[in-house]
Amino acid sequence: MSDRALRAGVAVIALAGVAVAGYLTYVHYRPGALICTSGGGCETVQESSYAELFGVPVALFGLGAYLLVLALVVWDSEVARNLAAAVAVAGLTFAGYLVVLQAFVIDAWCVWCLVNDLAIVPALTALTVVRAMPPDDDQVIGT
Amino acid sequence: MPHVKQTAPPAPGSGRRNLVLAAGAAVLVVAAVVVASLAFRGGDDDASAPTTTTPGGAGALFDGIPQERALLGSPDAPVTLILFEDLQCPICKQFAEEGLPGIVEEYVRPGKVRLRFAGLAFIGPDSEKALLHVVAAGAQGKLWQLTDRLYVHQGGENEGWVTDDLLGRLAGELGLDHAKLATDADGQAVLQQANAMATEAEQREVPGTPWFYVQVGDDEPYEVRPGSFAIDEFREILDDALAG
Repeated sequence: MSDRALRAGVAVIALAGVAVAGYLTYVHYRPGALICTSGGGCETVQESSYAELFGVPVALFGLGAYLLVLALVVWDSEVARNLAAAVAVAGLTFAGYLVVLQAFVIDAWCVWCLVNDLAIVPALTALTVVRAMPPDDDQVIGT
Repeated sequence: MPHVKQTAPPAPGSGRRNLVLAAGAAVLVVAAVVVASLAFRGGDDDASAPTTTTPGGAGALFDGIPQERALLGSPDAPVTLILFEDLQCPICKQFAEEGLPGIVEEYVRPGKVRLRFAGLAFIGPDSEKALLHVVAAGAQGKLWQLTDRLYVHQGGENEGWVTDDLLGRLAGELGLDHAKLATDADGQAVLQQANAMATEAEQREVPGTPWFYVQVGDDEPYEVRPGSFAIDEFREILDDALAG
């Protein structure tokens, strides 16, 4: 896959992340936008004390991370590619922690959180890491 | 001859090493943040120490306000606010704590607005048992008080928290005839009322709870969506209905 395609892929997935994290941030601050449905426990997860880190909604951290990745995609240098991959790996680590919390501590599942934790973050991590990997250092030096 | 500035070629493997270092540092930062947040985490999600949602103790918010089954407020109130709720819904509990007291004091007690409780039981068995009992409490003029107390003691979804023991204790606190409450909750009349609420929700395509409608006089109710449970949001909605 060309770097151009990878770059576009990272941008699209980061935008999807902005949408999901933005929605979850919105409902955190606007509880009137949140309702209980027969489908799942978003409300339980969002109401949990684990929904905040040091008083800041975790969704807001996610929103910031996605915006940072988007900015790094625009910057587009070797440093930016490495930083984007590092941010995504950090996000993947945190997403794993959130999934464990939902499964074993809060004992409820939030569908939008799972979309983020199990689909968007892993996809973003895969693309940013592949993009940051140099083709082959030895070959580059040898030419 | 022009001098060409030359840069040293990167050391073999330095690109991958930088990536691994950056990713490793990122993981360590996240781990440190998570550990620190857990260490300094204040409150918990334990609902074992219930507090009243209403100032003044058990159901005091509704003292002196006329009740007729699911209706709270003066029959002459020009506007009715219809509340679709599930007694297991934590957002409904949040509304009961943050939104309802202001609405009752500012609009219901002065006779400007009447509230109509429309209970649903889509979350599970505890919802159903709780709903049948609050509807039964309506026959004793205390549907709103029992609803309030059940929110105070709300447990996890379908964990079996709506026990006979809890209902008996709440009935005692509220001065309800517990034997009649239990009998009525198992009766056909209460079941029909609960089913009528579910049917209305289905007809209105209520997507979840809490969900709100406003009815002006005998007009067809219309859906309203407050952005939060702050009284300002409801002031806008209710003042508009009262003016219209």
